[in-house]
Order: sequence, then structure tokens, then C-alpha cells
Amino acid sequence: MSLTFTTVIGLEIHVQLATKTKLFCGCSTDYIGAVPNTNVCPLCTGQPGTLPVLNERAVELGTRAGLALGCRINKVTRFDRKNYFYPDLPKAYQISEFYVPLAEKGSLTLLGDDGEPHRVGITRLHLEEDAGKLVHGASDGRIVGSTQSFVDYNRSSVPLAEIVSDPDITSPRMAKDYVSTVRQMVRYLGVSDGDMEKGSMRVDANISLKVSDGRWGDRVEIKNMNSLKALERALEYEIERQSGILSDGGRIKQETRNWDDSAGVTSSSRSKEESNDYRYFTEPDLPPLVLSQDFIDDIARSLPELPWEKKARYEVEFALPADDIAVLTEHRELAQFFEDCVSYGSTPSRASNWVRTEVLRVLNEGDGDLATFPIRPKSLSALLKLVEDKKISTTAAKEVFESMIPGVDLDRAMEICGVTAGSLTGDALVGVVRSVIASNEDVVDIIKSGQDKKDKKKKFLQGQIMKEARGQADPKEVSALIDSELSL
Amino acid sequence: MDLYRLSACDIVREIKEGRCSCLEVVQSCLGRVDDVEPEVHAMISLWRDQSIARAKELDARLASGEDIGPLGGVPVILKDNMCTSGQETTCASEILKGWKPPYDATVVELLKEAGAVILGKANLDEFAMGGSTENSAFGVTSNPWDLERVPGGSSGGSAAAVSAGYVPISLGSDTGGSIRQPAAFCGIYGLKPTYGRVSRYGLVAFASSLDQIGPFARTVEDLARVMEVIGVSDPKDSTSQEVDRSDFSVALRRADLKGKKIGIIEEIDAYDYDPRVKKALEDTVKACRDEGADIVPISLKTAIEYGMACYYILAPAEASSNLARYDGVRYGHSAKDASSVVDLYLKTRREGFGDEVKRRILTGTYVLSAGFYDAYYLKAQKVRKAIKEEFARAFEKVDSIVLPASPTPAFKIGELIDDPMAMYMADVFTIPVNMAGLPGLSMNVGLSQEGLPLGVQFIGPRWGEEELIGTAAVMERRFGKAEIAHREVK
Repeated sequence: MSLTFTTVIGLEIHVQLATKTKLFCGCSTDYIGAVPNTNVCPLCTGQPGTLPVLNERAVELGTRAGLALGCRINKVTRFDRKNYFYPDLPKAYQISEFYVPLAEKGSLTLLGDDGEPHRVGITRLHLEEDAGKLVHGASDGRIVGSTQSFVDYNRSSVPLAEIVSDPDITSPRMAKDYVSTVRQMVRYLGVSDGDMEKGSMRVDANISLKVSDGRWGDRVEIKNMNSLKALERALEYEIERQSGILSDGGRIKQETRNWDDSAGVTSSSRSKEESNDYRYFTEPDLPPLVLSQDFIDDIARSLPELPWEKKARYEVEFALPADDIAVLTEHRELAQFFEDCVSYGSTPSRASNWVRTEVLRVLNEGDGDLATFPIRPKSLSALLKLVEDKKISTTAAKEVFESMIPGVDLDRAMEICGVTAGSLTGDALVGVVRSVIASNEDVVDIIKSGQDKKDKKKKFLQGQIMKEARGQADPKEVSALIDSELSL
Repeated sequence: MDLYRLSACDIVREIKEGRCSCLEVVQSCLGRVDDVEPEVHAMISLWRDQSIARAKELDARLASGEDIGPLGGVPVILKDNMCTSGQETTCASEILKGWKPPYDATVVELLKEAGAVILGKANLDEFAMGGSTENSAFGVTSNPWDLERVPGGSSGGSAAAVSAGYVPISLGSDTGGSIRQPAAFCGIYGLKPTYGRVSRYGLVAFASSLDQIGPFARTVEDLARVMEVIGVSDPKDSTSQEVDRSDFSVALRRADLKGKKIGIIEEIDAYDYDPRVKKALEDTVKACRDEGADIVPISLKTAIEYGMACYYILAPAEASSNLARYDGVRYGHSAKDASSVVDLYLKTRREGFGDEVKRRILTGTYVLSAGFYDAYYLKAQKVRKAIKEEFARAFEKVDSIVLPASPTPAFKIGELIDDPMAMYMADVFTIPVNMAGLPGLSMNVGLSQEGLPLGVQFIGPRWGEEELIGTAAVMERRFGKAEIAHREVK
């Protein structure tokens, strides 16, 4: 009898909140690239006698994220101590929210494996402080084989929001989608950079398999997946590993395993967190956190349109292809740029094309910062209107666009490119036709001698004239003028 | 007259009116320390040069017409669990021997702003855990009234320093009675403020929800003066409350106790404790009556019968977490030749902590551990809530409560050190006050026949420091100010 397996995945995502200072002290959170142990103070290095003071902005950002995930925000919460010994934890306890989280019981709707919408529940979102960073002396940076380890407390006490999903995720693809959606959401909200490579977003997975003969494999925790790709690969590997064991009639060991991206395998981790009794108790140094309904309502009102809401709206309002919508809505700032162009009068499809191809191209070539991009939606819109109204050709418009990039305004750019809005016609066009004819005597001779079969040479002249006219001439008029000038 | 004998308020007046200099006062106090310290051993570190330099600096500012503050020129001593920037702060432990904090505790900043001169750091039971100052890694402190007896604990050094006349005021900390009990043993005033009245920022934590810093003094006026300086809300301490800065001038002038209701606890009547202390309490109750107070019997059954058990679950639990940071990685003692991180932790803490501290860490870890949390920690929290409510109901009927500070006067050095449980039992009258977060004031009401100080305690409602100061002011007029311990020291 052949066995089938149902995958059950739950994900824990830690996002670093985009505050200027740490969760309980005034030290800067800007630790990437900082000299070790320079963004520290007596509190975040656990000196005796120090006391935590809660960062209000972190609470705001956590509440924002909780509301966006459809969670209920708990009005009265308390912090708790999670006690364990490790050199990167200066107080030997982490201040977290264990008993009552800031937010709970939300959900995200993703694409199911069957193509239908699939609801993934959010168990909770809570605030906690980060630990410091350990650097091990061995050449591969791993703890095994190191005779020395170093600890950097710059990251200690940086604020995190931990988002825990219900075990509703049913495939590695969906896991990737879930993380990608959460990442996009936190960026939209300005809650976090959500950068997995830089570490401002970390994902741990819990995965187990249900067997068609009624058995349940035990849950395994997977850590050290540092990209979306790694997440997917690690989960795929685990499914294979676990189903292999279960097929042979074996049992899954409940444990924590580390993903090794270069080897492409998970391996058992002798993690510090195994069989630890954290002895959670309520943090006596912090009073209860009491949020008023006004506080919550204000934040709810200030939420921007969320990525999935925007996508849905674009489908209805703009009738653009799904792939295009995905690109436009990937980043909130880009979507805003696009929407601004439309509100200045551009047709959605033209604005979509230009934003996705031209604007995005230039951004990707440079530093990618839309905020400092010199061409504003209003100007781009004006340029596109000229194309709409057939006053300049698309080709000309692209040239003008290039000229505008260093910060030149539309009119000046058009001057520089020698493009005039409106058609080149009548005497002005005659002048151009005559000038081209004069520069192409040999071609003219061929036409006049009647050897221009299929009008190839005439088309060549036409092309040259159109080029000179920067596409602003009417092709029919050009053709007629050539005929009359050459007495054809 | 010997300047060291003056109260803090008198010193401020004398200096302000130009009858003596800050330097003269400090020198007088240092002289007293030199005379008595070899026998009393109240100090862990003496700041001789720094205090002289500071006194000179204050004198210079005075000379230029500056107001040097409400404690201008007053020498003070701090319990050595309060962080003093750049100066050794040991908590009487090997694990912090030589450690110099990179910052000042808020109370230290406030004292400095007020013009005080810090003379040094006083001995204590290690990490404030104890009732006799015998648990110090740096030796035992003797009671200035009888050198073979303990000064009480854990703030024994701070109490002895004021009692012996080193300084007119000192600061201690009280988690389960560590100000009030030594005050009674040493014959002086000690005040544990309402929880949240005085900032804990810079106080090395023992039990975060119970610890409070408070003053020792020989006069009620001095107690009030210090409270005015340190009883200020602090944004660096999230448990410090926004309460108005106290003004005790009205309370200090209270004429009598007419119209006041003072509670006596029924359960204590039934308690078997030292007859000398019993008599002292009776004398106090009689004095209150004579001053016009109504004496009202009240019941605090949960507080008296369960307060201790509750405390010895909750305090060690918090301590086990607060003391986990001492691991040899960032500061303090670090074991040499450790073969791994775990080995470093084990050796450092084994070498650095004394027995009582280890006992409490073990107890605390146990009551928080999986499978025991509900039965112990959670249960104790519920009992604590019941105690708070019991006191709240009592204060609907009375303005303050009078009871002993300790079941006995000062016991002999070595008498209880081998019996931790017996030592714990000595806290029965002080612990419930911390559990409820209320203010408590300890005062001396006389000497036993053997010449041992006998003290009593008043408990006030939350933020009731004024009530306590007022009552103590009335009592002071009857029983007299506290005296510098008088016995032959040379």
C-alpha cells in the first residue's frame, strides 16, 4: 500500500522593528556595519542596577502590524522574563511577552495549493528584545572547532515583533508565499525593512507530516534559513527526509535542526534552547502596558492600503494583467508613483508600462530610491499626455525621458532633444523633405529611374525624413510630399 | 562641640550661617570613623580623599555666595549596593569585588545635587540577602551598642554608621525589613518608603517588586529632609510613580495624635516574642494614647501568618533571575581556566557567591521551574494580592499601624548564622509591609536593661510617609532623638 503525506507547517517570523532606538534604552538600533560594542549602554549590556524603559514607538509599530494582520489588540498586556544562560543574552533573561501577547487571532489569505484562497491563521504577535551577536573564532565561523568566541552587544535589546502562524501552511510554496507576503506587509507599513539577508527578518519553521495510515510524525523545528529560496529548499528537504523515515516505519525525532544552505541538508542542532525550562514570570520592572481604544483607533486609521487590498483594487479599477499588478504593487512607493500618474491623467496601461519598464529600469541601475528620483509623477504624466495626444512619438518620448533623469524639467528636456510638441507639417515639413532628398542623390536617382520596385528606396527616404522630423510628421503627408518633390 | 554629633539639618544651618565649614564637618566625621571603625567595621570603602576634595569644592562655592543645597555639606554613607560611578560597588560579594559602575544611581545624583558629601560605602549582607550583615564577603559589622552583637541586616553597615556617629544620615535598602530591622537594632530611625516613591535606578536588584531605598537618621527632621531630596519620580525607573515631591514641614510640626486612629494587630498579641520588645511596644501604645490617639485592634491574619512563606517564595524567585547576569562574561569576577562557557558560569558563580545567596538562587529557581510554578510562585502571588487587600481594608479603619520591628533586640554574632530558617523568622513583622508596597518607619523607644536598643515600627497607607513622619515627630518629643551609641570605644 502506498502512503501519502500531508504537510503541516507553522512559521515563526521575527521582524526587527524600524525604531531609531532600542526597546528598553536609548541606544541606536543601527547596528549593521557598526563597530562592535559601540551602540551599547549599561542597560543593554546588563550592568547591575539598570532598569528597562519601554520604547513607545515599538508598541505603535507592533500594533500597526497586528492590526494589518487582522489581529485583536490586547488592551492590557505585561512583559515577561524568559530566563536562560547564554553569552549573547546580557541579563540572562530576555524581556518578551509570553502570557499575554500584544496581538492575537489574526489571519492572512494566500493562494492554496488547489488554486483556491487558503486562510492561514496568525496565532499571535508579540514584542521582545533581541540578543547580541556571537562571532566564533573558527575559520568557517561556526561554533564547532572554535577556541574563542566574541560577543557584540550592538544588537542586544533591539526591538523585535514575533509573528507566529497557526500550523495552517500546507506546502513549501505556500510557506514562501506567506513569508513574502508578511515581508511585503511590514515594508508597506514602515514597520520593518524586512530584509532576510541583513537579518532584520528571521524565519523559523515547524514542520510535521501526517501519514495517510493515520500516523502523525512529530514536529521538527528548522532554523538558519536566510532567504526565501533557502526556506523553500529546507522545507522540501525536510518533507523528503521525514516521509522517508515514516515510510520505513520509523519515528520522527522531535528536535531542532539547522539548514545548511551549501550542503542542502538539515542537521540536528545541539541548540542552547533544547530542553530549556525558561521559568517565565511577569517582568516586575515594567508596569502593565495599557492601550486606550483611542490609541488603537488612531493607528487603525493611519494604516495604508495593504498590498493585497491594493492588488484587488487594481484588478477591478485598472484591469491590468496580474503580473503587471504584482510588479507595480511590490513596493508601496512605486505603487503610489503609478497611482499618482494615473490621477494626473495618464491611462493606467500606459502609466503601468512606463513605470514598470522605464522608471524601474532607471531605479535598478541607480540606488533604487524612488524618493530621490528626479522625475515626479506630474512631469511623467505630462510627458505621457503628449504621447497620448500623438503630439510626440513614443521613441521621442523615451529620449526626452532620458534627458529628464538628471533633473531637467520637461520643456527644457524637449528643447535639448530638439523635440517639438505637435506635428511637423506644411512648409516646415517640405523643408525637411527637400533637405533629405538633397542628401540622398543616389537613392533619388534610383527612384527616378523607376528601378525602385516595392518602394524600398522610397521607404528608406521616408524613414530618413521621419527621423529628421523626430517622428512628428504624418507618414501620409511625407509620402505625398516625396511624390510631389520628385514628380512621381 | 564635635561636629560629627550634629544632625544633618543642624549641619546645614551651621554651614549656611558660617559657623563651620564643610571641610571641618567632613574632617570631624572622618576622625570619628578612624576612632570607631576598627571595632565596628561598618565600611567596605571609605572615600577619604574624595570627600575632602568635595568638601573643599563645596566651601569654595559657598564662598562665592552659592546656595549649596538642602543637604549642603552633610556627609552621608551609602549601602554598597547602590551604584557610584567610578567607585567600587561590591554588594558585599566576591563576584563584584573591584567592580566600578559606569554610572551613578539616581539617588546618588540627587544627593550630590543637594550638596551632600559621600563619605563611603557601607557593609551589608551579600546582595542584601540576610538579616544580620553576617553574610558579607568582607567581614561582619558589629552593633555599636554591643560589639558582640549584630547591627541587623541587610543594611547593617548603614545603620551602624549613623548609630556610631560616622555620619548623621545614610541610605539603606529594604526588601523584607533591611532598613527597619537594623534601625531598631541600632537605636535609630529608619524609613522604608512606599514602593515606587524612591527611584531604584542604580540599586543593584535583589527582588525588583519589593526593593526600596530609604534613609537612616538620628532625628525625624533629618529623615524628612532626606526623603524630600530622594523621594522624586524618575523616568529611568518605570516602577517609580508620579507623586508630588514631599513637603514634610507641616507633618514635622504635628502637635499630638488627637483624632488619629492607630491600629494594633491582633495576631501579634498572640505571637510569642521577646518580652523586652513586647514592653517597648506597650510603652509606645500607651504614649500614643496619651497623645490623644484612638487605639483600634485590627486583624491582619494573612499578612502575619502567610507573609513570610509568601516572601520566601517571591523574593528568591526574582533574585534568581536578577542575579543570573553575574556570569563572568562582562564584568565582575570571572573564573580562570574555564574549559567552556558552561564551566565559566559554574566556576564563576561557585567562587563568587556566598552560601546565603546560593541558597536563595536555588530556592528561587525551584519555585519558578516547570511543574512547580503554579503551586509555588503563582500561589504566592495570589497570597500577596490578598495581603495587599487585607492592609487596604485595615487602612479604611486606621491612619497607621504600630507593631514591633523585630521579635527580638539585636542577637549575638554567630547566634543565628547556622540556622537560616531561624534567621528568616526574624523578618515576620517587616516582610508584610514590603509585600503590600506600604511605607514603614522604625524608631527607637528606649534601651533594655542590658543597654540594647528597643525599636518599634509604624506602618502607613500607600503614599502615607507624611502620616508616619508626623506620628514619629510626636513620638520623638516623648522618647527623645536617637543617640549616638555610647559605650567605651577606646
